[in-house]
Amino acid sequence: MGKPKIKRKSTLIDMTAMSDVTVLLLTFFMLTSTFLAKEPATVITPSSVSDIKVPMSNLVTILVSGAEAKSDGSLNRTVEGKVFIGITGDEDSAYSSEKVRRDLLIEANRLYNERHPEAKVNFTADQVTAFSKLGMFGMPMKDLPAFLSLPTTEQDKIMKEFDPNKVGIPINDNRDLTKLNEFQIWMDAMQRVAQDYRNNGTVNGKGEAIAPNPRFFEAIKKTGEGIAIKGDKDTPYSVMHVVLDNLQTLKLNKFSLMTALKSENE
Amino acid sequence: MAQIEQSDKGGKKKGAQKKMQIHVDFTPMVDMNMLLITFFMLCTTMIKSQTLQIALPSNEKLEQSQQNKTKQSEAVTLILDTERDEQGHVVMEEDAATGATYPKHIVYYYEGKPFEGTFADNDLDKDNFIDADKLKLKEQRFRGNTNGQTNGIRAILHERNKEVLKKIDALKLEWKEERLGATKEANDSVFKARAREIRNDSTLTRPVIIIKAGPNASYESVISALDEMQLNQISRYQIDNINSTDSLLIMSYLKTQGKL
Repeated sequence: MGKPKIKRKSTLIDMTAMSDVTVLLLTFFMLTSTFLAKEPATVITPSSVSDIKVPMSNLVTILVSGAEAKSDGSLNRTVEGKVFIGITGDEDSAYSSEKVRRDLLIEANRLYNERHPEAKVNFTADQVTAFSKLGMFGMPMKDLPAFLSLPTTEQDKIMKEFDPNKVGIPINDNRDLTKLNEFQIWMDAMQRVAQDYRNNGTVNGKGEAIAPNPRFFEAIKKTGEGIAIKGDKDTPYSVMHVVLDNLQTLKLNKFSLMTALKSENE
Repeated sequence: MAQIEQSDKGGKKKGAQKKMQIHVDFTPMVDMNMLLITFFMLCTTMIKSQTLQIALPSNEKLEQSQQNKTKQSEAVTLILDTERDEQGHVVMEEDAATGATYPKHIVYYYEGKPFEGTFADNDLDKDNFIDADKLKLKEQRFRGNTNGQTNGIRAILHERNKEVLKKIDALKLEWKEERLGATKEANDSVFKARAREIRNDSTLTRPVIIIKAGPNASYESVISALDEMQLNQISRYQIDNINSTDSLLIMSYLKTQGKL
């Protein structure tokens, strides 16, 4: 008996339509999305009914880390309340994030050395460039030059380890303007840089003169939209209060708190 | 679809090119696109976070503002606390009425002049706690709305600020029907200006809220309290530091509840 002949059918599926769809989807995602900023600590922001959007430019983000769950379920409180600062510059490319960060580091470093003449910290040009590429930073000033000289993978490793003694900008509950702590020095430098941008477009009369730009100054000093504080919802308020109090001391008393949206009924 | 057919219309001639079929396989292209989509989906955020804007007095002005004391009848003091377990996690609790679970943020509150300084001996009982009948402290939760009804602490604040809320609700109605201005923008700006006027109208009975966060109170509970201010259109509120008097009040309250 001869075997019945099965007609061979081609199993070729036309993928053109599928490809069209995926390209469309891809375009959609590429156009609508903003990349997740690399943040040293993950926080879950509390929810609020306020629906004001976070601005895309001229923004100083202050991240306050929360406690971390240990393997046995208890909370590790030593990593709580570490402060990090992230800066986004203006849409105007003359005042890009890189420029603002660069100016900020130089200004903060000057203020720091003024207050700590016995332990001056100096940055090389390469270190300043490395700093201008950092999305978010949080280091004691004295450790910053060595950190900036490391390759990016090593920097990430240090941030990931999250040794409470090594990361975070030093902060305390100081209210004395003559004894600013490091966090206050950074924020004070920010104010000065913003003021210089508004007045003459250069910092301390140095650098190339460009058209003055008041937007950064307005965002952080007048409307308070430019300072966004991001904290974890379960962090005790006393920890957050230290940060808010520091800002109040510097007369930066208008700011915004980052929240997630919730409905009125919740 | 992915074929290109070449046909000669000129009929069959000798030496004419053979009919060609070019078939392009798009499968690898689809594979690659899918990978890219996955990458974009994982690495991006769609939700932009919101912000809550607050203005705090600068530290120097704080001493001055403490001098202009609020009228006794207008003040409501909220003392926030969050219950945590021995591991430090926030305790969750179920609301008896709705069955929903909430983090256990406790709002202790009392109406009237804020307690300050020390207490006279006749206010204290033998264990140096405040006498149960002198203590006006009550306890509430953040519970939002159910079926349009305000619950928890919101109901209390709503009641205190009802004169303002009534006027704002009437204004909101006009705003929804766009009767306040010719254009949408004009309508919005008139609404905002008029709402601010109503909130700050000193002829209405308006409460002054003092928010105090206890040492355990979480950041979330303070944000919830600020939310209540916004939802109840309360224009006068301040965030204050907790002091030993407030702690004594809570301890005395817990004693009356038999929790101490």
